[in-house]
Amino acid sequence: MSVHTEPPATPLLPLYVLGSRSPTWWGMIGLIAIEIVVFGGLIAMYFWLKLANPSWPPEGIAVKPLLLPTINTVILIASGVAMIVAKRAIVRGNQLVLKLGQVVALILGLVFFTLKIVEYSGYDYDWSTHAYGSITWTMTGFHAAHVISVVFKGIIVLLMSLRGMFRPDRHLAFEVSTLYWVFVVVIWLPLYFTMYISPRL
Amino acid sequence: MAESRYDGYGPQFSPPPEDYRPDPDLLTRTWGPLPGIRGFFAVVNYQVVGMRFIVTGFIFLLLGGIQALVMRTQLAQPNLDLVSSELYQQLFTMHGVTMMFFFAVPIFEGLAMYLLPLMIGSRDMAMPRLGAFGYWIYLIAGITLYTGFFLGLGPDAGWFAHAPLSSDRNFTPAMGMDLWVSAIGMLEISALVAAIEIVVTIFKLKAPGMSMARIPIFVWAMLVMAMMIIFAMPAVLLVTVAVGLDRMAGTHFFNAAMGGDPTLYQHVFWFFGHPEVYIIFTPALGVVSAVLVTFARRPMVAYSIVALSFIAMGILSFGVWVHHFFAVGIPPIGLSFFAVASMMVSIPSGIQMFAFIGTVWTGRPIVNTPFLFLIGFVVIFVLGGVTGVMLAAVPFNWQVHDSYFVVAHLHYVLIGGALFPLFAGLYYWFPKWTGKLLDETLGKWQFAIMFVGFNVTFFIQHILGFQGMARRVYTYDADLGWGTFNMVSTVGSFVLAAGILVFVFNVFWSLWRGRDAGQDPWLAPTLEWSVPSPPPQYTFLEPPVVRSLYPLWDPGAPDPEFDTAADRGERMRPQIRQDVRETFGTSIMDGEPESRVNLRDNSLWPFFAALAVGFAFVGSMFSLWFFPIGALLFYGTMIGWHWPFSKEIAT
Ligand code: HEM
Ligand SMILES: [Cu+2]
Repeated sequence: MSVHTEPPATPLLPLYVLGSRSPTWWGMIGLIAIEIVVFGGLIAMYFWLKLANPSWPPEGIAVKPLLLPTINTVILIASGVAMIVAKRAIVRGNQLVLKLGQVVALILGLVFFTLKIVEYSGYDYDWSTHAYGSITWTMTGFHAAHVISVVFKGIIVLLMSLRGMFRPDRHLAFEVSTLYWVFVVVIWLPLYFTMYISPRL
Repeated sequence: MAESRYDGYGPQFSPPPEDYRPDPDLLTRTWGPLPGIRGFFAVVNYQVVGMRFIVTGFIFLLLGGIQALVMRTQLAQPNLDLVSSELYQQLFTMHGVTMMFFFAVPIFEGLAMYLLPLMIGSRDMAMPRLGAFGYWIYLIAGITLYTGFFLGLGPDAGWFAHAPLSSDRNFTPAMGMDLWVSAIGMLEISALVAAIEIVVTIFKLKAPGMSMARIPIFVWAMLVMAMMIIFAMPAVLLVTVAVGLDRMAGTHFFNAAMGGDPTLYQHVFWFFGHPEVYIIFTPALGVVSAVLVTFARRPMVAYSIVALSFIAMGILSFGVWVHHFFAVGIPPIGLSFFAVASMMVSIPSGIQMFAFIGTVWTGRPIVNTPFLFLIGFVVIFVLGGVTGVMLAAVPFNWQVHDSYFVVAHLHYVLIGGALFPLFAGLYYWFPKWTGKLLDETLGKWQFAIMFVGFNVTFFIQHILGFQGMARRVYTYDADLGWGTFNMVSTVGSFVLAAGILVFVFNVFWSLWRGRDAGQDPWLAPTLEWSVPSPPPQYTFLEPPVVRSLYPLWDPGAPDPEFDTAADRGERMRPQIRQDVRETFGTSIMDGEPESRVNLRDNSLWPFFAALAVGFAFVGSMFSLWFFPIGALLFYGTMIGWHWPFSKEIAT
């Protein structure tokens, strides 16, 4: 017979958890994985079409300008940084920076979107001019749709912050939406490289 | 400390009440559906949603089967004119699309949804509303496709819709292809959300103590299937959208005259297309291993190697897509690479086969209907695998490309590899779902009829292929001498269909007159057999904890120190509240209790969200403007879905 020891004390299980302990967080990772495949597919299509064509961009279409898109890329990165700052703030319980960071991020997101429209309305070709137009407009349009959708979602999360719903240990909705926001920023970088840098190499 | 009004689902900690006891009435109120018609649309319970997937998938099997019979009748003799060549094109396209997208994938997802919570000891899937949403989109996609078909607007470019045939309005002016784009687009979304749900459930909702080394092989198979969906299906979503844009918006992805490239379509589509076969086949193997272990009455031989081979199969299947178009003009080095990879992918399947055979060999097998279907599966599938390895050899492939040899091969793989295991699974779990056993005599007849009918139908098609009969022809000339074999094949297909009808009859008969199953009619080892049949809506009266791989055969003893994940889970059990939908959240690898997960309850919003998606996709057949409008509607439904946002703190 073994001597029965007293079972060790039983801790209380939390209801609100963050990060990889939360199913919702994993759901968001799943969504991001799917989107990475889609964006990766778009990039692969771009290079496939490039190889299938004698010149790329084709005759009569100029290489995209660099200045405006690069500034715009910096703006998008800044919006992601603002979200991360807000995220850091709520972990420390700083409600003010939480709200400010989001407001800044939302504004920068909208600026990015607007500048994309400005940039693309300046081109004298569209998606139906050539396969080059098809793929670049699609890549940009698809990404821009993501930007506008994180902005829409961000507005709701901002409203939640304004009502004081987030705490240092309870802000899953905010955490998950930051994760997605950062994804939308980071995935832009390979797109930027593909469309603006690679034709210059 | 006072709780603020934004406490969502309630306080962070819930110390167990003094007089804790499991309360079935309270649990039923918590987990039950809403009353009336509203409840029908609002229900999110995994049993209901999973069963809806299964039944709907089966109806699509019957629809696809009817199309197959019409085709076979048309081909029974030379120069028949039962259907026109246009209609024949729609028929084989609809048949392929129905079987591949609307039957095989959803029905196995349904199986996963119904069985995963039971097998891993959770009270529901991780995102119940997402599951309901996935079902509604699936249904809308199917209704859209078939409405078009019955209006005479079926898609007609084959199930894989190669460009530029599919993408250029000059070649396919009818609306059928737009329909294909919309329906497949929606179906992909439904498959993707279901896949996310499956992965998250397996990751986070396992019972305390259920480490990754203690999940049944079935759960491994479903995990691999879901992962493959996540990495493969987005490609087909992308390519369908590209086809839609070429058709609707005037882009030129696949138009060679404007810088596009038709082979681009083939690459992107088949990057998905080959894994798709394994997406169908992996869960079927999962069913096989569950049924096999129970009826061989011994644990699976080489559990970890089998689990690993599932993973290997999933990964390898992404490296072989080019073998679907070896004939399109590929550089020789590419041909060799993909040929070798295609042969390699048969290695993990071989390992699994040997483990299965070893398990039966060393066990004390009980030969009843589910087991018979397993034998049918092994025989047919091995034959299909042999012709598959033959097709992986490039010179041979060029010889029989697009002939009936390929039709025979793909049906051996798909019917042997998916339909037979599916029936094994249906016979095996039907008692759990309904409380009634399916009739054994009818079951054995069904098996015999299907097995004979299947081989008569398809074996002879190998020879027709050698004789030069091309696939997708709506008729042929008498002097080619193919009439007799085609007649045999047609007769076989009606026999096969009769076998499926026997099953349908058996289901209704057994529901009405079947023997009561009781909790565990097969003396099976896994957790789903530890609850009544059919399972109550709250599933487990008390959340189970797990101490071994086969908990009902070998419950395992508590640790002497009471210091394992299972022991801790056992002591924490009273903390799981019964008045709200709560279940254990555990760590991925060890099943260590980490949190109480609060699952969202019944809601109409998933249904409305699916309607918004349907609005966008169906509308986009007419004008692309429906898409942004649909997106806005969807945004609105998302607000409703997550309302009230105080609860969003938790979800
Ligand atoms: C119930 C018995 C079945 C019969 C009698 C049958 C018969 C047929 C026939 C006659 C064709 C057309 C051949 C041609 O003209 O090229 C066909 C094609 C096909 N079948 Fe089946 N089939 C059956 C079940 C299935 C199942 C269960 C699946 C998949 C899970 C399936 C998948 C396919 C596919 C993918 C095609 C190719 C469609 C295309 O060419 O686009 N079939 N089948
Ligand atoms: Cu393949």
